[in-house]
Order: sequence, then C-alpha cells, then structure tokens
Amino acid sequence: MTQTNRIGGRLIDRSRSLSFTFNGRAMQGHPGDTLASALLANGQQLVGRSFKYHRPRGIFSAGSEEPNALVQLRRGAAQEPNTRATVAELFDGLEATSQNHRGPLEYDLLAATDLLAPFLGAGFYYKTFMWPKSFWEKLYEPAIRSSAGLGRLSMEPDPDRYDHGYLHCDLLVIGAGPAGLSAAVAGGRAGARVILADEDFRPGGRLNAETLEIDGAPGHDWARTALAELAAMDNVRVLSRTTVYGAYDHGIYGALERMTDHLPASGGKPRQVLWRIYAHRAVLCAGATERGIAFGNNDRPGVMLAGAVRAYVNRWGVAPGKRVAVFTNNDDGWRTATDLRAAGVDVAAVVDSRGDVTMSLDGARVETGGAIVDTAGRKGLNRITLQNGDRIEADCLAVSGGWNPNVHLTCHQRGRPTWRDDIAAFVPGGALPPGMTVAGAAGGALTLAAALREGRETANTALEDLGFTASREPAPKAEDEAAGITPFWHVAASRKRAWVDLQNDVTAKDVKQSHAEGFRSVEHLKRYTTLGMATDQGKTANVLGLAILAQAAGRSIPETGTTIFRPPYTPVPIGAFAGRARGRDFRPYRLTPSHKWATEQGATFVEVGMWLRAQWFARPGETGWRDSVDREVEMTRNSVGICDVTTLGKIDIKGRDAAEFLNRLYVNGFAKLSVGRVRYGLMLREDGIAYDDGTTARLGENHYVMTTTTANAVTVFRNMEFARQCLWPDLDVHLISTTDGWAQFAVAGPNSRNLLRKVVDAAHDISKDAFPFMACAEVTVCGGTPARLFRISFSGELAYEIAVPARYGDAMIRALMAAGEEFGAIPYGTEALGVMRIEKGHAAGNELNGQTSAHHLGMGRMISRKKDCIGNAASERAELSREDGLRLVGLRPVDHGAKLDAGAHFIERGDASPSMASDLGWMSSVAYSPSLGHSIGLGFVRRGDARMGDIIRAYDPVRGKDTEVEIVSAHFIDPEGERLRA
Amino acid sequence: MPDLTLTPTPPLDGYAQDFAGTRLAEASELAIVAVATPAGGETALEAAVKAAYGTGTPAPGASILSKDGKARLVWSGPDQMFLLFTHDAPDAEAGVAAALGQAGYCTDQTGVWAALEISGPGVRGALERLCPLDLHPDAFAEGAAARTVMEHMGAFVIRTGSDAFLLLSASSSAKSFLHAVELSVRNTA
Repeated sequence: MTQTNRIGGRLIDRSRSLSFTFNGRAMQGHPGDTLASALLANGQQLVGRSFKYHRPRGIFSAGSEEPNALVQLRRGAAQEPNTRATVAELFDGLEATSQNHRGPLEYDLLAATDLLAPFLGAGFYYKTFMWPKSFWEKLYEPAIRSSAGLGRLSMEPDPDRYDHGYLHCDLLVIGAGPAGLSAAVAGGRAGARVILADEDFRPGGRLNAETLEIDGAPGHDWARTALAELAAMDNVRVLSRTTVYGAYDHGIYGALERMTDHLPASGGKPRQVLWRIYAHRAVLCAGATERGIAFGNNDRPGVMLAGAVRAYVNRWGVAPGKRVAVFTNNDDGWRTATDLRAAGVDVAAVVDSRGDVTMSLDGARVETGGAIVDTAGRKGLNRITLQNGDRIEADCLAVSGGWNPNVHLTCHQRGRPTWRDDIAAFVPGGALPPGMTVAGAAGGALTLAAALREGRETANTALEDLGFTASREPAPKAEDEAAGITPFWHVAASRKRAWVDLQNDVTAKDVKQSHAEGFRSVEHLKRYTTLGMATDQGKTANVLGLAILAQAAGRSIPETGTTIFRPPYTPVPIGAFAGRARGRDFRPYRLTPSHKWATEQGATFVEVGMWLRAQWFARPGETGWRDSVDREVEMTRNSVGICDVTTLGKIDIKGRDAAEFLNRLYVNGFAKLSVGRVRYGLMLREDGIAYDDGTTARLGENHYVMTTTTANAVTVFRNMEFARQCLWPDLDVHLISTTDGWAQFAVAGPNSRNLLRKVVDAAHDISKDAFPFMACAEVTVCGGTPARLFRISFSGELAYEIAVPARYGDAMIRALMAAGEEFGAIPYGTEALGVMRIEKGHAAGNELNGQTSAHHLGMGRMISRKKDCIGNAASERAELSREDGLRLVGLRPVDHGAKLDAGAHFIERGDASPSMASDLGWMSSVAYSPSLGHSIGLGFVRRGDARMGDIIRAYDPVRGKDTEVEIVSAHFIDPEGERLRA
Repeated sequence: MPDLTLTPTPPLDGYAQDFAGTRLAEASELAIVAVATPAGGETALEAAVKAAYGTGTPAPGASILSKDGKARLVWSGPDQMFLLFTHDAPDAEAGVAAALGQAGYCTDQTGVWAALEISGPGVRGALERLCPLDLHPDAFAEGAAARTVMEHMGAFVIRTGSDAFLLLSASSSAKSFLHAVELSVRNTA
C-alpha cells in the first residue's frame, strides 16, 4: 500500500522511509511519524474494534488522550498490548496488530454483539448475570472477559529492562508547548536548575500542530529555536518522551521516560526509566485536550477531533480524508477548516452549532445553528446527515466540542477544579499541590499569546520566590487567536446511539439511564457505566459525560462536579514500577564471611532475613537433610562442630554509663558484671512481653558488646538508640553496630577447647580454670590477628564463640577446619543449631513470638526487683505473671516413634470436646533428637512447671493428628549443665 | 601444627573495573574508625582532634581532610564521626585511640563497610539511577558527606572530587551493592 494520503508534512523526514506492518500488511512511513500518522497516510482508517460492542473504530486524536487506536506492538515476549498508536513513534520494522476482534479486523465475528446493543446498556451485567450465583466465576465472567476487552498479554516474562532514578531541580516545567517553553526559557535564563519534561518525542506541543506565528515566524520554528537555547544551557535538562504522571507530597513528581520504545531494540539498556523528581517549584503547562460532541453514530472511523485533524495535516502532512466536514461549537474548529483548505484538502462543510456565527470559508458550505444527527459508512465514514435532513458526502468529520484544560496533576492531592463559563471548561481550582502553579492552556489560557505570556510570568514568579532574578529579555510576540465558544454537548434530536466514552462504549443514553436508575453522583455514574475508566481515563469523555448527566439532572455542570483524578496521568507499565527489582535482584542479600567456603563445601543455604546462612552441609551418601543434620549434631556432641554465627546482631556499647544503660534495658542486672565476663540477658517490650535475648560481654570498664538475635538486630539497635537519645539523654553511652565487622564462629563440643588451643595464640590461657564458662577476652589468633573469645554455649556443650575482623573470616574458617581435622571437626548449619538448642531447652524466635512474657519462658525470677527496666512494670500485669499461667516445658511423645509438629495445641487426655476453653497451650518448636533417638518438642503448657510427668495430648486438627505427649523438663540434654562447664 | 596465619580478604575481593566514562574500584585498604563524643567532652575532643589531625570536627553533612591529607573525618551522626584512612592492618582502632587519648570512644568499623570509589565524567549520570540525594555541585560540593539508602541498602556518599565519590555500604551486602552500582553504570554508559 502506498501513502495515498500523504500531502507534505513539515516535521517528518521525507527523505527517508521506514517500513512497518499493520496486521501483517507492509506499509511505509517516515521518521517523525507516529504509528497513527503513518496509518492514516496509508489510508488505514479502521484500526480496531470497540471494547464492548466490537464496533469498527478509527484514530480519534493525535495524542496521549486517544481512546480508540489501541494496538499491540512487537511480537513474542516483547509484545505490548494497549499501546496508543497516536503516541507510538514509528521505527523501521515496527510490527503492529489491532485488538479485540475474532477473525480479521474487517470481519470481526463478535461484531454481532452490536446487534444486541439494545439489551446491553449500562448495568446490564450487574442485572443479568446474578443467578445462579456459582455461574458467575465459572461461566459468565470468563465469557464476558473473552469477548470484551483490550489487548492480550504475551504470558511470557517481560524481556525488557527497566530502571528507576532520582532528579532534582529548582523548577520543573511539565509540558513543552508554548507556555512550557516560555517557562523553561525564563528559568534557564534566570540561572535556575530547570527540568522540562514533555511526553512527545518532539517537544513543542500544539506549536507543532498549528500554523500560528511567533515573532513573525512559524510557531514550530520558534519552538525549535527555544529548544536549541535550552539545550545549550548547563542548568536545563530537557526530557522528551517523558510523561510526568503524578504529583506527590513534598514537591515530588513521578515521571516515566521512554528511553528505547522508539527503537527496534533496546540494546541491553533500560527500555523505560521511572524518575522521582524533587522540584522546589513546578509549573504545569500540560495544555488542553479537545472533546467531542455526542451525536448519532459519532464513533465511526473517520470521525476525529478537529485539532487532531489539523495536527495530522500540519505536522505530519497527512490528510485524514479526501473530503472533510467540520462540526464545531467554537471558533477553534474553524481553523481546522482553514488549515485543511490551505493544505488543499476539500472541505465538505462547516457545521457550527452556534446560530450567531459570522465566520465563513470561501466556497465551503456553512451550516450555522446546525447539528449532525447521524453518520453512515460500514468500516469508515462516507456520509453525514444534518438535523435538517441534508446528507453530505464526507470521509472524515472533524469535531470540536471545546477544549478541556489538562488539570489532572493539580488534582492529585485532592484539588477540585472549578468551572469557567467563558471557556466552558474546568480549570485548576482549590488547593494545588504545594509549589505548583499552572500556565497556559492547562490553566484555561487557551490562546497562543496568553500561553506564552503566562508561561514566562508564572515561571518568573516562582523563580523570584526561590531567590532568582528573572531575566529581562522580552517575551516573544504572538497574537491571541479567536477562541469563542458556546457550549453544545449533545444532539438531542439524534435518535441513534451517541457515544460519550469511545473507549468504554458508553453512550449518552447510558449516562441518562444511570441517572434514571439512581446513580446520580459522578462517582456512581463512573462505576455504573465505566465512563472515564481504562487506559485513557476519560480524557476526551469525562466532561462530556458529566455535562449530559447535568442536563439529565437539571443541574449545572459545576454542581454536578467531577470525579477525582489520580495518578498516573497516562498508563505506566508495571515493569517500570518494578524497575530492577525482579528475580535475584528483588532485594539485596547478605553473606557471611565464610560464605565462599561454605559454598565450596556444598552447603545448602537458607534465607534468614536478608542473610543467606548455611542450613546443612550434605556429605556423599546422605539421602536427605535429616541425614546431614543428624550427623552434624552427633559429631558436634561427640567431638567438635563449627557454625558461622556472624549473623547475630552485635552492638558495641561504650560510655561511662554503659552499665547503667544495660541495667535499664535488660530485666536482669548488669551493673555488677565484671570485666572479662559474659551474661545472658532478656529484653522486654514496653508492654512487658519478651522480645529479644542474647549475651552481653564486658570487654572493658566502659565497653560492652551485646549480641542480639539475627532477626531482631536492627529493631533492637533502633530501640536502644531511641532509649539513648530520647529516654535517657543524660547518660554517657554510645552505640554502634558492628554486626558486619566481625566474623564469628561457634566452636562447640567436647573437643572445642583442644581445637581452639591450636588457633588461639599461646599467650592466652584458655584452660578450664583460667577461662571458665561465661568468660570473655580479647585475644590474638594464628600468630597475632586480633580476635574476641567468648565461652558461651547455645548447644549445651563445652563451647566457645570466636570472632575475628570480618575480612579475616574466610581465612579463619579454613584455619579452624584445618586445626580441627585431627578431631574430626565438622561444620554445622542452622538446622543442627536448632536441633541442639531444642535439646538444650533454649528459647528462640518460636518462643519469643510476641505473645510470651518472662514468666511464660520460665525466666520470671530473672527479673531484678532491685532496679527498673523497660517493660518491668507491665510484665507484672496479672495475666502475664499469674502463677498458673503458661510455662515453657519439654514434650516427649509417649510413643517414641511418633513425630511431633509445631503448632499443635495441648488438651487434657480425657478431653472429649476440645475447645478454646479447654486449650492448655501450644507446641512452639519440635525436632528429631539424634541424641535421644526420638522426636522432642518445646511448648507452653498451662501450669506446665507443676505438671512434670503428666501426659497430655498434642491435638492438631489442621494436620489431623492427635498425639499423647509427656510433660518433661525443657532441658533434654545435660540438665545440670556439666558439659558446658567442663 | 600447620601454619595458620590469616590473610585478609576485602569484601569485594579488591574489585576494580573501568567502564566508558566511569571507573569503579574497591578501596580495599581503607580503615574506618568511629569516634563518639563523650557527654560533656565536646571541647576536649575538638582539641584532641585538632592536635592529632590538624583540623576541627566535621559539621553535619560534611567531611574534612586532616592537615596532612591522609585522613578524612566524616560526620556520621549526632556525637559521632568516622575517621577514614588508608591502613592495611587490623589495628586501626588502637591507632586512633592512641592519637586522641581518652577524648573519644573509638570503635573499629573497618570490617563493617565495603568502600567503593566511583569516578569519571559519567559518575553523576550513573548515581542518578541509584542515589536519591541531589549530587549537583551546588547542593553537594566537594567534601560533602551524607547517609542515604540505595536499593534498600544504607550507604554513605562522600564527594571526594568534582567527578569522584566514595561510597560506603554494609560489607555483608557488598556484593548486592556493587551489583546495584555496576548496573547503574552499565545502564547509563
């Protein structure tokens, strides 16, 4: 197909041709074309089928407001549905297909839906598919969804990359039409940091589409000059192909820059970047969007907005028709007729709804006080019918119902637009987002000279506000074109369906029906009819719809009001919001210093918070994780095992009042802890519930090192910093996290001392007497590397933890393993760690679950009465401290072959009807104990400490299990603590 | 007994790479010591710092070079600063503590952080994809220092030259941090 409708075009490069396909048909266009302009140039009027009725639809607009011309671009995984052809930049090899039809676009099998239209009005689905209820999900909804809708997803992962970014400026100018360019030039000349963002690939706004002059030259030439001036300024950044889609708090704007959508491939670079722009001031120069008029069959391909017709003629050199009629209620529509005439296109008629118009166009038929009641043409317009019955042949109809200022961003923080009678449109009103002002057509200044002036003045006001001196260079000169309007919304005499919202197939009748059925608020109208929904958010439809609602209700338009505008202004792909956060990069991960070594050892890793920890180390011949874990436990208990415990939080505490500070944090006393000793401590929340535990070592007179649980490391630090800065600012105490600074390894088992003797330098005596249980010291290892040694035990064995500066951690694990070889030392992971702590009866996260108090944990007596601490008073609340309350105990299955499950609840043996009232508590942790040869558990049992030896039931209706268990001491292993003191 | 001398491994294994317009390199021998000001000890610490480093303590948002240019003092929080200097032995804290006498509480932070130098004409363009701070020279001049969050990771950003920054982020997540910075460079190169 040749470009039969190409008639010139000033802003395309006709010296080069681009090939593209539409529904597989090869076509040609030029650099500078949009897909829409190229389709029109090739005479392709029919481009899609409508959402609900499958009506033939054509290109309606020339911008981001497009309701009809939604197409799928590209193929395979890169296929993108619902792309507006009017903003898709043409490139060589572009593949586009139309949407929402079964069979070919020209012969859509679902077009028959349109014949059912009398039955499918507003609310049809709600009323019809109510019964039987179960049919909705299984039958009705899938059937409706497959017949109505927009494009289809590829159902493959998005192959493109996306990125985020942050920009800062003094002045953000949104939109690069005449007002925006004036504002940006003013900002640039004043020396401010300016960002000028424009959604088009060619900034200039309506200047590119009009024939108006500035400073005696064509407006688009002035735009080019202004852009060249801006491009030469270091302090100005022009972002074309960038839509500012939302205005957020504190002068923050969201913007989407389409980096490579105009290229055949993105070359490994992000396709789109989602910017967060921090702007001291913003000038909204978003222009205005034209709206249509509701009349019979006004949705045929060939019926277009009048301003869009001008844009295709002037900017792209495309005649949307051979013989074009104009239907307008304002002066601006006339310029379409004059521009068409100037371009040599036949003007069939100008129909002006106003009776008092004196404008004329030589040789063209003019109908004043006229209206169009119907159109004809199966796949595209070929005739219009006037209210007086006259029929006029035309293959394109340019309609102008007036212009709506693009107030959207002014409403993102609940600003409510106000109505202006003189332009018959809403303008920004109420409270604008702080720092935002509006200039040009977006504020209702719909003419050129006014837009240029406002852009400059508004920017200058903002700049002076920021302390800049405005440039004195004169404003460009232009004239204000005629822009009179008399509102005219709906040709009431038309008996045919008159479309209001083309994208959602909402007609004037639907709007009236909504009102008649009681959905009278605009917000209800929107939800009942879907007016203003979907990708275009009713940019061409909203005001028309509510004007018709106002007429039906006998109210004024401002009384009827508008729906709320929310971000985004135009669609933003989910991929752009996600940015880089996908797959492995969804969030950062933390590695311990022995990670590389553990990987070499074939460790299986588990995510704990953001950490990757070795869970177990499988050895050849082991058939499952239990084999590995059992071996790790047995080897540790029989000889020595090593575990990386770097992930535990470490907080360095220094200051004259550090001891007093710890006294106030922990339930137990720390004031008397001597240098070189470690103590276990329990922390409460303010409400008295236990929330973290760990050990704190006193390394010096004013120096302590606290350990926290892995999961709570950040929370505990934050709470301590709060206590330090806000609760007790008078204390001399200083905190800093050293979690990442030290590689720490637990060395546990009867041979742990023997192993460490080979590593710790000989100058340090670590014998039983010199370095007893709960001792700590700063030592050196392996010939002088500084280290910290703690004799603490989570496993219940003779055990130590040894810490070296993090970057020595890799060397340290290798040294420990080498030194341990003669003892058969093995590494153990978090599973074995967990088994051993359950065997020893140590509480962990499962027990400190945010519901349990020190009394429940059996640590009630640890709470010092000689001092106060956070949560102390609240922990004495009756329910938390009652003598017959929950107590942490051990549980052993009566049948040793039975496997226990965490989460089971306890009930009495003879309980015939288990209920909340008869609930005795719950199982919090379970493990298979290789040391005992059966399953064991820790749990909370009411009065558990007084019921040793009792048999109760672990009742688990979720898993359908009911197991008899004996209440035993939580210390399954070495209850007297002889091993750890060995 | 086998020879068990320990050899340090910096968190990014001494990474260094040149991209078009940007160089990325780990400052693998950078020692970091936090110095906290004892309550009521502001004057004494100021004097000790002056004596040891020939400069005052840094104001919020700033860093200062010592008189000999070998150490950088970075404001890191209320009553706290970081001293950064090249030193490859694990005894940085002792050195600073000795230099300051009892005037400040010192804590070694060397292993807590991974230090990444990023420099070249493309550096601001790359950091735009990552760093929420305004790094325009008018807003973030040479010597400026700030703490922020990049790709969920806490970080220090210190401007060491017109086109050069030092980034510090947690050593445990250093590989994720490097990936984030590298990707920003690649995306903008």
